[in-house]
Amino acid sequence: MPYEFSEILETIKMTEIEHFDIRTVTMGISLRDCFDRNIEVTKEKIYSKILKYAKNHVKYAERIESQFGISIANKRLAVTPVSIPFDAFKVEEFIEIAKILDKAATEVGVDYLGGFSALVQKGFTNGEKELIKAIPYALSETNRIVSSVNVASTKAGINMDAVNMMADVVKKTAELTKERDSIGCAKLVVFCNIPEDNPFVAGAFHGISEPEVTLNMGISGPGVVLEAIKSAGKIDLQGIAEVIKKTTYKITRAGELIGRKVAELHGIPFGIIDISLAPTPAEGDSIADVIKAMGLEDVGAPGTTAALALLNDAVKKGGLMASSSVGGMSGAFIPVSEDQGMISAAKAGHISIEKLEAMTSVCSVGLDMIAIPGDTPATTIAGIIADECAIGIINDKTTSARLIPAYGKKVGDTVNYGGLLGEAPIIPVSKLNSENFVLRGGRIPSPVRSLTN
Amino acid sequence: MSLSESELRKLTLEAIEELGENATPALVKQVVEKAIAKLEDKEFVPKSTSGDSGKVILTSFGLNHPGIVATITKTLSDASCDIFDISQKILTDFYTMIMVVDISRSNKSLRELQDEMNKVADELKIKIYIQHEDVFRFMHRV
Repeated sequence: MPYEFSEILETIKMTEIEHFDIRTVTMGISLRDCFDRNIEVTKEKIYSKILKYAKNHVKYAERIESQFGISIANKRLAVTPVSIPFDAFKVEEFIEIAKILDKAATEVGVDYLGGFSALVQKGFTNGEKELIKAIPYALSETNRIVSSVNVASTKAGINMDAVNMMADVVKKTAELTKERDSIGCAKLVVFCNIPEDNPFVAGAFHGISEPEVTLNMGISGPGVVLEAIKSAGKIDLQGIAEVIKKTTYKITRAGELIGRKVAELHGIPFGIIDISLAPTPAEGDSIADVIKAMGLEDVGAPGTTAALALLNDAVKKGGLMASSSVGGMSGAFIPVSEDQGMISAAKAGHISIEKLEAMTSVCSVGLDMIAIPGDTPATTIAGIIADECAIGIINDKTTSARLIPAYGKKVGDTVNYGGLLGEAPIIPVSKLNSENFVLRGGRIPSPVRSLTN
Repeated sequence: MSLSESELRKLTLEAIEELGENATPALVKQVVEKAIAKLEDKEFVPKSTSGDSGKVILTSFGLNHPGIVATITKTLSDASCDIFDISQKILTDFYTMIMVVDISRSNKSLRELQDEMNKVADELKIKIYIQHEDVFRFMHRV
């Protein structure tokens, strides 16, 4: 037998019991050649280009899925940040573009399409301002479009005017989608240091240095890591790091194989594999559970940030050894509503937004899927976004804020989206006023890169 | 299938070049249509999966009872599959069996084989998984 009994059973156990799956295969498509001054021609160009490249996306992914026995949970698309090729358009036209993208996504059968985005860390073009104004309408009038805006970077600093604008956009989106627990906000992320090849929504887009078309993928397996830690028993933390590395190595290898095979079927270049541990609301598929398995009573206990740092770093190390195409976020995600363990910790009052903020300084993204009271002022939201960006620019890492100021809801209520987006209890936000700080506007300069104390 | 404007233009120019002086609108149309049909054909041929060994790993486990191996191997032989290696362990009532199977000369596709094995699994009240060998090679061999 070319493989050991135990090796084969380990793989079967991972895929069948421990929720190891390919979270997403995301095809990135450039829209840079789709502009025409006539919006109708532009729409036609966008639609036919997406269909040309992606019409077999779902079919091919399913074929590989059954061939290798590893499920691919989501098939998605990402396009060039819409503000770039279509800079000459106005709000109404951007909404039209969102709708045609939504139609194309529905036609090819993907669940989300990312790229209704703008990169404004240093300042706005006219088109970018128009696109940002269009976001609340685009998200409330479509189903599959997700949006991201990068407002800060280590090299440019924090564009506070953009932060303020995005805080208003988040509030407006919450209001326009109030019928469905402000679901629009679950499809909108404000970023600092956004990666250009991220396959995960809502931050997915096809970066401007990417080729015509490419295939990126994200793997997921908190359940596999959880089981590995549990079965390792009483070992020290160096041992835990070793276990996580080995496990991540294996799932990354399998993930890269799947990604390359799908890209091969399409005849397009394989881009990157994002080795993020992304939780789902399914029982046992939780980052919080991994942290608890390391020995903490619950997420939020002192030591949580250290445990998360260990996890995030070990995931990166294991993945980097397994593949030379690692990119995207690559770390551990801590979306509150999408993780059963985080949901229960939030319900029990064990995590606060402040603790979550501390955790984002060592996890791979940021404040993610956090429901806050609907009456939170825009300036407070701007303050939270600015804090996240500060962590990002100073530590030279990606951070983000996907906050849901659930319209008409207060602490004690919950928002419930079902499916992958899960449910989230509304958690309290500081009542202290940030207005006079954030409304000064301007740009917080980029940080010094030496004297890093 | 929809083609972009530039693709259509390219096709038409190619057709004109091919036909030279004899080009009439009807002839151009005929050549373009043929070229489009060729394009469509090409798109549906899946690209070859490089270095495919044609082997799959069949894993089966469940409560032990007579006839399991017989039923599985019968199904495999009916599909002209070649068993490369077979190994099994029995722990009191529980058995696990792993086979390395060459399906490259089989008259059935992997998907069809998986469907048949699912039927067998339901009948015998056991679990059967068939996965391409590469998953195991990538995960467990550096």
